[in-house]
Amino acid sequence: MATRREVLQGLIVSMGGAAALTACGGIANVVATSPGAAGRFYTAAEMSFLSSISDMIIPRTETPGAVDVNVPGYMDALMTDWANDETRNSHRQALSRIENELDRLVGGRFVETEESRATSVLSELDAAVFDGSKDLDGYRSVKGYISRSYFATEGGAVEELKWVSVPGRWDPSVDISDTL
Amino acid sequence: MADFDAIVVGSGMSGGMSAKELTERGLKVLVLERGPEIIPQRDYVDQLAPWETPNFDSVPQDEIEKHYPKQYGGVAYAIKESNKNFWVKDDEHPYEEAEGTSYDWLRGYHTAGRSIMWSRQTYRLSDLDFEANKKDGYGVDWPIRYADLVPWYEKVETFAGISGSAEGLPQLPDSVFQPAFELTDAEKELKSKVETTFPERNIIPARVAHITQVTDEQRSLGRTNCQARNRCHFGCTFKAYFSSLNATLPAAERTGNLTMVHNAIVQSVEYDAESNRVTGVRVVDAETNEKKLYTARIIFLNASAIASAMILLQSKSQAYPTGLANRSDQVGRNLLDHVSGAGAAGLMSGFDNMKVFGRRPSGGIYIPRYANLNGQDKPYLRGFGFQGGSTPIGDSGGQIAGIGREYKEAHKKPGPWRISIGAFGEQLPNPDNRVTLHASKRDRWGNPLALFNVRYSDNEHTMLQEASKDAVAMLEAAGCTNITASPVSLTKPGNRIHEMGSARMGRDPATSVLNGWCQAHEIPNLFITDGSFMTSSACQNPSLTYLAFSARAAHYAADLLADGVI
Repeated sequence: MATRREVLQGLIVSMGGAAALTACGGIANVVATSPGAAGRFYTAAEMSFLSSISDMIIPRTETPGAVDVNVPGYMDALMTDWANDETRNSHRQALSRIENELDRLVGGRFVETEESRATSVLSELDAAVFDGSKDLDGYRSVKGYISRSYFATEGGAVEELKWVSVPGRWDPSVDISDTL
Repeated sequence: MADFDAIVVGSGMSGGMSAKELTERGLKVLVLERGPEIIPQRDYVDQLAPWETPNFDSVPQDEIEKHYPKQYGGVAYAIKESNKNFWVKDDEHPYEEAEGTSYDWLRGYHTAGRSIMWSRQTYRLSDLDFEANKKDGYGVDWPIRYADLVPWYEKVETFAGISGSAEGLPQLPDSVFQPAFELTDAEKELKSKVETTFPERNIIPARVAHITQVTDEQRSLGRTNCQARNRCHFGCTFKAYFSSLNATLPAAERTGNLTMVHNAIVQSVEYDAESNRVTGVRVVDAETNEKKLYTARIIFLNASAIASAMILLQSKSQAYPTGLANRSDQVGRNLLDHVSGAGAAGLMSGFDNMKVFGRRPSGGIYIPRYANLNGQDKPYLRGFGFQGGSTPIGDSGGQIAGIGREYKEAHKKPGPWRISIGAFGEQLPNPDNRVTLHASKRDRWGNPLALFNVRYSDNEHTMLQEASKDAVAMLEAAGCTNITASPVSLTKPGNRIHEMGSARMGRDPATSVLNGWCQAHEIPNLFITDGSFMTSSACQNPSLTYLAFSARAAHYAADLLADGVI
């Protein structure tokens, strides 16, 4: 199992990178991305930060993680080709607010913070936003983009969610107690 | 010698059925469709997987603002990047609204019209509905009753394929059913609790026009069972849901009696005063602007309640200076829709170990009308039904707390189930609610723009306030938690896309346009079987009723032709 650093540093040639290219093969506007390079919308710094939090929110497990399936590239295309200026601006500001808050919480540069500490700080921030004790405008939105993008890829949909193209039947009552 | 026996204007829900029945009776039929041709194998996009369309298949925001402000504002759930060509561009097909009013005219111009994009909920009307106007005095009395329509409901249901459950409810008669999409466990719990607490209310599986037990006749048209993909708004390669393109037009085509012309925008219906007959239809080609006249012995208008009324209003002559068949001055009036904007949602626990397999198309539950069934017992007239469904909240992306492995896993765990229900209410007929021709503004083919002037009455407002309270009470009775009910906000007229009433049928030619056969009182070879004829709206989704009336009118017209009456 690759560590987060390995994923972030070598993603294009790794297994994950291959999966990413396959996953986005049907969509011409999604370009392969790497954390050190700018996208069509994101700056290099934004891409690094987005890759970092995407990987922590949806890491590689037995199934691909967000970076494996190129969520940053998906979102880069989304902001370039779908979003209007208002959405772009508010998204950019949200990313910046989140990064500033995480920088403040770690007392330095979040993207350069050691992996386990960075993950724990993000985890606490996420919990605080969702239990209402912290107001960080745009966090839920960014997390929503990351998650929806992930599940819109073949890796997220098929490998993670077991999405089936043609179910062929409707079963309203499937007991999954065994798997819980 | 006319070019055709019959012309059918419009290939949507009702036009397809008119064409099928007329061609099967041996008539040579021309169907005029104002939009381009849709070829399923080329134009359906239901086979695309989520990752095969960029940007969540969303239409770019700037493009929505420029081309689809009305359409997308009305049905954002149905308009995606891959199927946006099924919907008109508002800037290419504008319309006007009277000051202080707002109207959603949501539509698609192409083969089969909106029958491709409809949401397939399918319910019969009952005598409660056919007698409503007579009882409370709004609108005029329907000239027929439920029993007149039963054989025609049965005929079109058997052909179309309706999934549902026999319930024996007098206010919502059973159809000829194929097996229903079974309720989820959460929905069964809701049903049990609500029916115990409110004995006059019922929760039943939604009745939808999906094949679940394919018949030989359906198979012969290339149709088969629903595959539970819920990709219906993108077309259906399996032809499992009913549409003109999936069912009636292929049936008409195989008779050898069908001619179909696309891009033919009807400008007027020709009328011969001497014989008191309509004789043909003038069209302009949407692409080339070429004008043409097609002639026929009978004419069926199936262009939609709005477009059919406009065609009549545009067809002025010395005999009919205010529009064809409009001596009653009722053409374009009494424009109806259903009204939504009240409902509730809540969480139901106890089913955390349950999931579903497959994606059920078109909702899940229906709560038939329970108001004012046996006399007037509510602070409003008539009634409403609820449509709704349930889903495990674990499936919703992005709004669950947590990060990492647990967050990924959380998306696969059902957790509590979210149940939601929304009301569909009846709108009272009102002659002041109308569509007229704009006095000066024209579209690019020179046809007058539609001008809408439709307002809800106090009855619709009161009804929806009560529906909201009822919705909350039912979810409370079911033991739901986190119940939310947005403040009641009525949907814009037109938003439910159930346009009706603009050439109503009635007993008296002085106050109605059509008789009980959908035949113009004043012109015996002119028929209108789209939503125009609806004398009242009831609260049920109306397409099935259009189909039944279309089939009935087509046979009546064919009989009159055969007998030499018209």
